[in-house]
Amino acid sequence: MSSLEIRDVRKSFGAAEVLKGIDIPVDSGDFLVLVGPSGCGKSTLLNMIAGLDTITSGEICIDEQVVNTVHPSQRDIAMVFQSYALYPNMNVEKNISFGLEMRKMAKAERQRRVAEVSQMLQIEPLLKRKPSQLSGGQRQRVAMGRALVREPKIFLFDEPLSNLDAKLRVDMRTEIKRLHQRLGSTIVYVTHDQIEAMTLATKIAIMKGGVLQQLGSPDEVYNEPANLFVAGFMGSPSMNQLPVTLAEEDGRVVAKVSHKAGDELALPLADNPVYRDCLGKQVILGIRPEAITDPGSAESDSSLLYEAKCHIEVVEPTGADVFAIMELGGKKVVGRMRANCGVKAGEVAPVTFNMQKAVVFDPETEERID
Amino acid sequence: MSAATTSNDHSRVWRVVIYTTLIVFAIFYLLPLFVMLVTSFKPLEEIRQGNMLALPMQWTIEPWLKAWGSACIGLSCEGINGYFWNSIKMVVPAVLISTILGALNGYVLTQWRFPGHKWVFGLMLFGCFIPFQIVLIPMSQVLGMLGLAGTTAGLVLVHVTYGVGFTTLFFRNYYEAFPSELVKAAMIDGASFFGIFWRILLPSSGPILVVSIIWQFTNVWNDFLFGASFAAGESAPMTVALNNLVNSSTGVKEYNVDMAAAMIAALPTLLVYIVAGRYFVRGLMAGSVKG
Repeated sequence: MSSLEIRDVRKSFGAAEVLKGIDIPVDSGDFLVLVGPSGCGKSTLLNMIAGLDTITSGEICIDEQVVNTVHPSQRDIAMVFQSYALYPNMNVEKNISFGLEMRKMAKAERQRRVAEVSQMLQIEPLLKRKPSQLSGGQRQRVAMGRALVREPKIFLFDEPLSNLDAKLRVDMRTEIKRLHQRLGSTIVYVTHDQIEAMTLATKIAIMKGGVLQQLGSPDEVYNEPANLFVAGFMGSPSMNQLPVTLAEEDGRVVAKVSHKAGDELALPLADNPVYRDCLGKQVILGIRPEAITDPGSAESDSSLLYEAKCHIEVVEPTGADVFAIMELGGKKVVGRMRANCGVKAGEVAPVTFNMQKAVVFDPETEERID
Repeated sequence: MSAATTSNDHSRVWRVVIYTTLIVFAIFYLLPLFVMLVTSFKPLEEIRQGNMLALPMQWTIEPWLKAWGSACIGLSCEGINGYFWNSIKMVVPAVLISTILGALNGYVLTQWRFPGHKWVFGLMLFGCFIPFQIVLIPMSQVLGMLGLAGTTAGLVLVHVTYGVGFTTLFFRNYYEAFPSELVKAAMIDGASFFGIFWRILLPSSGPILVVSIIWQFTNVWNDFLFGASFAAGESAPMTVALNNLVNSSTGVKEYNVDMAAAMIAALPTLLVYIVAGRYFVRGLMAGSVKG
C-alpha cells in the first residue's frame, strides 16, 4: 500500500506531444481508473508509471520518492497486461513464482506465497498446467496471481478485461473490486470502458488527446461533469445535450427549448447566481436520461420537477427500462422510463424533468458553468 | 452420368501423368546416390568390369575401412578420419557460436530497439549477399594479424562471421512476432537482459533454433573454399581432404574408396536432416502466417 503522485508529466514522440502535463495525486488505497477513447494517452501514462516508457518531463513519485529513472523491477509495482503476458514455456506455478525467484526469495517462502495466492484466486488445480491449456478467464486469474504474489506497493492494470467475453468480464470486474476491498491496495487501472471505470474506481481520471479532462470520484464525474466531453463519455446512454436559451420567469432562471409538439418548454434551473449572468444567452443544457422520466417514477424528493407533454418518437425497451426518444430543440433526447409506464411511440405523453440533476455548459468553451 | 465418368477418367489420366513424372525425376536424382553406394561396396575388379548400375556380386566394406583409416591423402596414408574430426571441431563451435550470436542479435533488434536498428539489420542482411570469393584476401590478412592463419580456430572465426548474418535474419524475423508484453512482464518481474533471453525467449525458440542449426551445419560442413584457403595440411577440413584423396594420382584410381569417402563426408548433414528435418519447414514457415 502506497501513494503515487503524477506531477506535470509530459511525453513527446518527436514533435508529437501525446501527454500534455498530467497531474494526478493518488492516495494509498485508492483505485484510480484512467479512462478515455483510444489514443488519449492513458496506456502511455500507465507504461510511464511502470517504467516501461521514458518520461519527457515532469515527475512520477511512489511514496514521496521520484522514480523517473528507477528501473521497472526496482519500483515495486506489478502489472497485469491486456494479453496477460503469461510466459508460454512455464507452467502456472512457475509463472506466478517467477518474479519471486528473480528476487532470490527462498524456495519454501515462494511455495507458501504461491499456495496462498492460488487459493485466493481458486486456481490451485491449474498450477501444473501450461498457459496454452487455460481458458481466457483462467489466464486472467493467473495473470492477477502473478501480480498479487509479489505484494507490490502499486498494482497496474492495462485493460485487463477487454479480451474476455461479456459475461466473464462482468464476473472478473466484481472479483477485482472484491480483491481491492479485501487487500486495500493502491491500484491504477486503464480502460476505455466507462462502465468498468464507474463500477471499479474510487477516483476516475478522464483523458482526451493527452489532456486530463476531469479527476474525481465516480459520483462527481457522473453528476458534475467538467465539460461536454466528460458529459458525453461517461454514462450510457450518454447525457442529453440541448441547445437552450436562458431567461427569467417569475424570479427564476429557466432554460427555454423549442418543442416540436407545441409550445416552448421553460425548464426551471437550480438557484445559481452565475446563471443570471448568462440570461438571454444560448447555452447547452446537459440532462441525464434517468432525469427525464414518466411522472410515476420521478424522484419525488427533488424540489425541481417539471412536467411537460412531449411527443414520443421511438420507444426502445431493454427489459428493465424503456428508453423513450423525443425531439427537443432540434435534438434527439433520450428519457429513461419504467418498463410498464405505458408509453407508446407516436403518442404525446407526460414527461417529468428532474431539473435538480441538470447542468449547464458554455457552448464555446464547452466547460460547465457553475 | 457419362459426363461424370469422362471427368473421372480425365483426372485419373492426370494422376498417372503426374506420378510418372515425379517418379522419373526422383529416380533421376537418386541415381547418382545409388551409383555411389553400390560402387563403394564393390571390390575394385568388379568396378573395372564397367557395370556401373549393377549391385555388387561380392559385398565388401573394405573400401569404407580404407577410406576411413588408411587411404593416402597427399603423402600421409592415414585415411580421412583425422580430417573428419577436424571438420567436427570446426563445425560444432562455428554452428553454436553463430546461432547464439544470431539469437542475441535478433533479441536486441526486436526487443531492445535503439536508434538506427534498421540500418544495423540492413547491413547484416547485406553481409548475407557478399560472395565468398570477395572476402578471401581481407580475411586472410585478418587471420594472419590474429595469428590464426591455417588453424581450425581461424576457420571457426571465418564461419561465424559469415554465418551470423543469416542467423540474425532468422532470429530477428522469428522474434519480430514475439509479444513484447512478455518481455515487459519479465522486466517488471525483475529478470535481467540475459535472464529474459535465457528464461523467456530461448525456450520458445525451438523451431528457429533447428532452422539455424541445420542451415549453419550444412553450410559450414560442406564449405570447401574457406577450408581450402585458410586451413592447409593437417588442419584441413573433410571437404578439402576428400578433394585431395580423389585427386591423389599415385597408383591405381580406387573408385570404391573415393565413393566411400564421399559418403562419409555426406553422412553428418544427412543425419542432421533426418533428426531435425521435420522442424525445418515448420520453422521456416513460423511467423509468416499469424497463429
